[in-house]
Amino acid sequence: MGYEELFPGMDMKWHANATKRFATPFVDVPHDRIDVDPIILSHAAVACGYTIRDFYEKPELGIHCVGYISHLYDLLPVTHWFYSLPWCRELGLTLQYKDTLPPISTGPIISEPGQTDNLRVPDVNELMKGHTLPEFIRMYEYVAKNLPMTLVPISYGFDLVGAAAELCGVENFIMWTFTEPKAAHNLVKTYTDTSVNGAIGLANKFGMAMLIVGSVLANNDIFSDETVKEYSAEYMKRYVDKAFRGGAGPQLFYHLCGNHQTDYKVFKDTLFWSPFTVIHIGYSGRDSFPSALLEQEYGNRATIMGSVDTKLMINPNPKVVYEQSKAQILAGRDSPKGYILGTSCETPPYTLPGNLLAMVKAARDVGTYGTW
Amino acid sequence: MDVKIPNEVMEVIGKRGIKEADVKDVVMTAESAKKKLKSNGRNLAKKKIGDVTVYVDYELEKGILKEHANVKSAYSHRMSLGDIVNATDKTNWICVHCGEPAMAGHVAMTYMQVTRNGPAVVCQKCKDSWVEEYLATKTLAAAEGLFEKKRA
Repeated sequence: MGYEELFPGMDMKWHANATKRFATPFVDVPHDRIDVDPIILSHAAVACGYTIRDFYEKPELGIHCVGYISHLYDLLPVTHWFYSLPWCRELGLTLQYKDTLPPISTGPIISEPGQTDNLRVPDVNELMKGHTLPEFIRMYEYVAKNLPMTLVPISYGFDLVGAAAELCGVENFIMWTFTEPKAAHNLVKTYTDTSVNGAIGLANKFGMAMLIVGSVLANNDIFSDETVKEYSAEYMKRYVDKAFRGGAGPQLFYHLCGNHQTDYKVFKDTLFWSPFTVIHIGYSGRDSFPSALLEQEYGNRATIMGSVDTKLMINPNPKVVYEQSKAQILAGRDSPKGYILGTSCETPPYTLPGNLLAMVKAARDVGTYGTW
Repeated sequence: MDVKIPNEVMEVIGKRGIKEADVKDVVMTAESAKKKLKSNGRNLAKKKIGDVTVYVDYELEKGILKEHANVKSAYSHRMSLGDIVNATDKTNWICVHCGEPAMAGHVAMTYMQVTRNGPAVVCQKCKDSWVEEYLATKTLAAAEGLFEKKRA
């Protein structure tokens, strides 16, 4: 039995409405209400009775769970599936699956700065014979066959600094940014260019590839604004520019996870912006990043995605989630290039459905177009 | 000035729906107005023809009696370019009109009454902007298609 036989079919009337709603921030035709994107990953599998491990080990099952649950929660009409360390196996890391986590590295493969001089970027043909690209292609072919209306081929550059740091160990990487900057740059550059080739490979296959790239490890809890710009924002720009040259895009999603209390400013005139860009910032200090500030800084650059603190999603208090959702929507809903309500990062696997529905309720209550 | 378009370039611009007469018009207009970008012998000119902005990438070669333009490529986009949003990085291009270096940056782009930001080469002094070939034929072409689909 294929995974597609495990799920009821999608209500096409719902999908048509959700598609119009999803288009709103990009084409200035208000429809329905502010969209909600709690960045659902393994929560979708858990909600369908599967495990976190199932979600990551079986991408076709995982993405079908995302499509099915997104429909039931009345979220986005598109599907996605990813983890934080794509393209790492192709650079030599070994990943292991865990029962309660996304795939993690078994350990660094570089211990001395000089070893970074030997790193080599696999070309597109090599990536086609690797792990990540065939996995994405297989999964999107499954979606094209079974959930075609939800298909958006997405290539994940993901956390260019965090993934690169896994090659030598995060502690080493942080230290090397001070003591061995050439080695640190070698690592990020190699990972970035490998991700670029992955995006080009996916675009070659599907004719386009949306790009998602983030700044997660590079945030103000660890680095200064200048270091975030040097190691993260500049390479995010490199990733997008090179991927565009290879035919990927035009959709972009910038995911600034973690604490970006002051470094949020360095991305504005560093990143590459396309007509279909969303920027999302998770936290300012320990608090959800204020949508008012997000609009002030980025509202004229792109569609903005505000955040509800992910920690709240497992707290049995839907009222708190509702109130924070409402406050963020009220602060961001007039953003000139559109607003989406999200969570600060991936919604936790064991998110309480009542909390997730509280976000949707807030979007209906104060985010319905034409009511304010 | 003669404008020479090699057969292989004719084939490409034909596939892109660009007329030979428009290519010549773009070059002649740019040369008479001196409004173009220049870099290491390459010239990049543009002209809005109807709803489409047509670009020609060409080299100037001196003949016995006069110069001629040797066309390397031509491409177009339908988005209208508006105000400059920012200028962030140096490029190899020089704006011939003012002699200043052109920068990589972003401009407001409008299509089907929707205005968003997109990447371009900009001259801040002349407040003019150009889109390079890879962006026009890949990124913007795909974006135009998405606008058409999502606005439908």
